[in-house]
Amino acid sequence: MRTLDLRPHHLVLWAAFIALMLLMPQMVGNGTLRTMIFACYLAMFAISWDILSGRTGYLSFGHPFLIGIGAYTTGILTRRYGIPVEASIPIAVLVTMAGGLIILLPALRIKGSYFALVTLAVMELMLQLVPVIRPDLTGGTRGISRLPALTRGAENGYYLAAGLMLAVALFAWLLMRTRLGTALWAIGMNEESVRGSGLSTTRLKSFAFLVSAGIAGLAGAFYAHYLGSITPRSFFDINILFQIIVAVLIGGAGTIIGPIIGAFFMVFLLEWLRPYMPGTERFFVYGSIALVLYMYQPKGIMAIVETIVSKMKGSRA
Amino acid sequence: MMQIIVQGLLLSGLYALIAMGFMLIFSIGRTLNLAYGAYIMVGGYIYFWLSQQLGMPKIVGFAGAVMVGALMGFLKHRLIVKPLKGDAVAVEISTLILAIIMQSVMVLVFGDASKILLPIIPGVVTVAGAQLTYNILAATVMSWIIIAALYAFVRGTHTGRAMQAVSMDEKGAAISGVDPDKINMITWAISGALGAAGGVFFASYTQLSPQMWVAPVIISIAIVIVGGIGSIIGTLIVAHIIGFLEVSIVALWAPELRGVFTMLLIIGVLVMRPQGLFGREEH
Amino acid sequence: MTLALEVRNLVKKFGGLTATNDLSFDLAKGESLGLIGPNGAGKTTVFSQIMGELRQTSGTIKLYGEEISKLTTSERIAKGVSRTYQVPRPFAELSVRENIRVGLMPDSLREMIFGAPDRNREAELAQSVGFAPKDLDKTASELAMGDLRKLEFARTLATGAKLLLLDEVFAGLTSGEIGMIAELIQDLRQRGFTFLMVSHDLPAMEPLVDRAIAIERGTMLANGSFADVLGDKSVRASYLGES
Repeated sequence: MRTLDLRPHHLVLWAAFIALMLLMPQMVGNGTLRTMIFACYLAMFAISWDILSGRTGYLSFGHPFLIGIGAYTTGILTRRYGIPVEASIPIAVLVTMAGGLIILLPALRIKGSYFALVTLAVMELMLQLVPVIRPDLTGGTRGISRLPALTRGAENGYYLAAGLMLAVALFAWLLMRTRLGTALWAIGMNEESVRGSGLSTTRLKSFAFLVSAGIAGLAGAFYAHYLGSITPRSFFDINILFQIIVAVLIGGAGTIIGPIIGAFFMVFLLEWLRPYMPGTERFFVYGSIALVLYMYQPKGIMAIVETIVSKMKGSRA
Repeated sequence: MMQIIVQGLLLSGLYALIAMGFMLIFSIGRTLNLAYGAYIMVGGYIYFWLSQQLGMPKIVGFAGAVMVGALMGFLKHRLIVKPLKGDAVAVEISTLILAIIMQSVMVLVFGDASKILLPIIPGVVTVAGAQLTYNILAATVMSWIIIAALYAFVRGTHTGRAMQAVSMDEKGAAISGVDPDKINMITWAISGALGAAGGVFFASYTQLSPQMWVAPVIISIAIVIVGGIGSIIGTLIVAHIIGFLEVSIVALWAPELRGVFTMLLIIGVLVMRPQGLFGREEH
Repeated sequence: MTLALEVRNLVKKFGGLTATNDLSFDLAKGESLGLIGPNGAGKTTVFSQIMGELRQTSGTIKLYGEEISKLTTSERIAKGVSRTYQVPRPFAELSVRENIRVGLMPDSLREMIFGAPDRNREAELAQSVGFAPKDLDKTASELAMGDLRKLEFARTLATGAKLLLLDEVFAGLTSGEIGMIAELIQDLRQRGFTFLMVSHDLPAMEPLVDRAIAIERGTMLANGSFADVLGDKSVRASYLGES
């Protein structure tokens, strides 16, 4: 397609990626598959964050809030009202977008740093609010359990997660290659100049936010069904925020592909550490690596890859 | 009624102390430094370790916490803030990661479960018809002493005024002969010390857990922003508003809703009046 | 003949400081006006108010007969006015071509997503300010100051506005580059563009303007032909150094 400046190597790489993901179950055992399922969901959360915060620099420290809304909506609809999953999930996506819009949209008007604080406060608010407001619906601090599963078995669960992740990734990647993506990048570099170029930054940010919220809600809803149960702490927690942000950073913010790499890297590292450090202490190792890497190469793995590729091209010429 | 007023005053004093520490660094950098929460948490844990696990006198525990806080502040300035040279996004992210790292260190060393700190001073006293624990009273009194000392320091001493100058205009201060780097270093160390002190008191007020820092950090940042960056009086006023609000909600409505209203207030004010209520005008 | 710009009784106060003091002037379509004044006279402040980056304390601003004080910056650009900045603010990590692309983009989400960039126009604009084809893919952060100014001009042109506010567009350029930009401006004037220019390089500016106004501390000192304004006693005192 001319509009997106797609080259043959893009198509090849995407085809290879998709093939690799789909062939996984043939290559690894169930345990690894379950790890990969989690990685796929984290990758989706990371892509969602990346579309807004990775590009525009408006750090959403409250992103788990959106994921949680998606999860709780589908949980409440399926368990309390008996609504079938085919309906509850799309509704969850819409509710996430609407809820995010109402609460976070006014925040986009204020400067970047304050946006981060407000979103963090919103997430904390959710953590406090959800257990107490209508506990008959939300299940209070214990949450909702026995959500209907969408698939049986690790392999099917994997195909669902991977398929979803690939669809989301492709969509996001294509969208960011349009001029919209360029405009969002530009906002992250110099928002005033974007206004000075005749573009309405509020509208651009709002749209990015909507897409981001939609993906977060979608991934959150499916994830809830995969887990089978939801508690406030498992969604409205700063540790989840941490995992998302670090995944994006290590992979490379703003690139869509970077967050996917980062998510997989992170999940596998954490799994490898599990026998030695079963709880949140693992974040110490992970966080330290992330911090050091961020201080020295804030653009993440993608940038390192790009440098290697251009060096290789250079030496060939 | 008296109970509410007294409790409100006490909690406000605590919040004011924590917010002061944050105000110092925010007025230089203007970026969100979530790792401030690490001082609060680490301060509480160091005190716990020294006073309860090692059995040292409480004053030693307190001093230890404060010193570790100051050291953390100094290191953070040196290793993270300075190299990043004011890139707001980078600072925000790095401090978040740092805060989580510190949190996980605490989990590694002390375990995940919440811990209850023994009261600094055991016993209960009745003041003007309201019942208070000596513990909280002591914490508040100490908070106010520290705040007063800070105020005197900033207004009275040469270093203090240099700190004010740097917070208003770093280049201008440099031209006037102040060494901004040294001042920043001192400011960060003091900020760490205050945070740690606040952490000790806060932990004895509630509980000690690796996640305890999130809410106080949000509250102190919000207090500083709403109260007006750099305005000590503004910070004090807003701290009291929030302190009284929380206490009233707990007493008059429902204890579970305590955090909810604070957050709602913070979100509402930030969105509608991001320049705060009392601060200097910023272009 | 419609006035491109009509500024009446413009006042801007920052607390106790009056940056713009009851300024009034007209700019006809196709005219080119030079704005002269010493540093700190408030020239950039005037630009910011016209563009909507700064809200005036009082006074009216009309663009092609329409009062624009309530419009946002991007809305004003859509109405046909655009500016360059004293300190260029490019998108550092985007290429020259992509920088111009941001200026060219229509302010419509649908267009941005489903429409293709106009690569020919991007190259055309870049070349018109003096970039070679090989420069198109250079990252903005690699460029020298002079090139950054040229890029800024290209991006401003890209917005399609016909009333251009140029703030020190020659600063930091070599005489060859100045000549090129000057030629471009003359060409645009022939094509009916309207200009309001600020520059300390008076000799370079003289052939490019029809008239001039001089301001000091936000107040207008003189308004007339370039020569008349430069000859004015109060202008000589304030700007040319006799104060």
